[in-house]
Amino acid sequence: MRVVLVPGVLALLPEYAGVTDPVADLRAACLEAVSSLGTDVTVVGDPQGERVAAYLLAGTDRAGAEPSFLVVGNGSARRTEKAPGHLDDRAAAFDADLGRALREGDTDTLGALDRDLAADLLAVVDPIAALADLLPAGVAGEVLYEDDPFGVRYWVMRWRG
Amino acid sequence: MTLRLGRQTFPDDATLMMAIVNRTPDSFYDKGATWAEDSAFDRVAQVVDQGAEIVDIGGIKAAPGAEIDVDEEIRRVRSFVGRVRAAYPDLVISVDTWRAEVARAVCLEGADVLNDAWGGTDPTLVDVAAEHGAALICTHTGGVQVRTRPHRIEYDDVVTSAITDTVAYAERAMAAGVPQESLVIDPAHDFGKNTFHSLEITRRLGEMVDTGWPVLVSLSNKDFVGESLDLPVGERLIGTLAATAVCALAGARIYRVHEVVETRQVVDMVATIVGTRPPARAIRGLA
Repeated sequence: MRVVLVPGVLALLPEYAGVTDPVADLRAACLEAVSSLGTDVTVVGDPQGERVAAYLLAGTDRAGAEPSFLVVGNGSARRTEKAPGHLDDRAAAFDADLGRALREGDTDTLGALDRDLAADLLAVVDPIAALADLLPAGVAGEVLYEDDPFGVRYWVMRWRG
Repeated sequence: MTLRLGRQTFPDDATLMMAIVNRTPDSFYDKGATWAEDSAFDRVAQVVDQGAEIVDIGGIKAAPGAEIDVDEEIRRVRSFVGRVRAAYPDLVISVDTWRAEVARAVCLEGADVLNDAWGGTDPTLVDVAAEHGAALICTHTGGVQVRTRPHRIEYDDVVTSAITDTVAYAERAMAAGVPQESLVIDPAHDFGKNTFHSLEITRRLGEMVDTGWPVLVSLSNKDFVGESLDLPVGERLIGTLAATAVCALAGARIYRVHEVVETRQVVDMVATIVGTRPPARAIRGLA
């Protein structure tokens, strides 16, 4: 099984392209990660996340019959005063805990995320919570991108189980 | 239509800045600021740095004044064109002249475009353009003599006159051997026109664009702006830019300007609104 996590960043979509790409590094990481999925991909995401997934899948050549999952979610959008949701002091700890759980494949934590807090923090975690069922416990994730360039926490990660 | 301006070609959605460079002691806007050759050369360096795709070098002011004969005009522009060409091998160099003899001299120095602001006064100018592979700007003057101000000129329909005359000029140039892709039409605001004419040309510029010929507009700090806003030369930039926006919305391709940076911003902003150019960088609400 192959699993990839990308953030549902609308700036990745061609309809929002500018002369210069504000998410060039993120885009490269997403395309690299999605390239490692097989041909049979199940997308786990909200409607906007599904659009981002469709763009990434259309832009990659993939091979292999292994079951593959493309999960679209991200951490808080309230990490700084200039973040889309302004600063929430709880965002840093929430994202730190979530990031650790993703890296370590801590399915217990991923299955028990505080959805109300996540909603307050504008974090898109429902798809991420699905990882608790998808991933074998304790399988470490490979981090291809981890940053918050616009006050929103992004991870691009992949797992093989 | 792809535009070929001498050594350069441009796609059909490109907008181009043509920066005015005067080799004159008496032009209305800069009043001789670049009369000295080194000053004019510095002006070229400045506008290139500002992103102008074209420089338009002129040796005679448009308004009436001291007679400048062919030899003097050639003295003013020929060697200067050569100097600019040597320093900027890829820059599109236009020369503002109505005289075939001057045109021939500057083409031999590497000029790409002949900007005939007086609308075909010299019937052999088209032959020079054809012979040297130069592009030609075909302007509308309503039939006035060179270097004259309009006096009691009226039109049944100024836009129809502008279209008829400029397209006829372009077709005559084609017949002389100038490629279609190297011909541009220009309604020539304020040339043979009062302020009401220039305003109507601006308002209805889309009709010129609809001919399919690429349209150049020369609006910069002109009297129709000054009379519209009751402002002297030197205080017409905002009015010029408003007129620029209207022409950009209508689809003008080339903008002959004093202020390159400001005009480029207006033209790019309009193109971005229209949707022919994406935003430079968009992340607001999309992160």
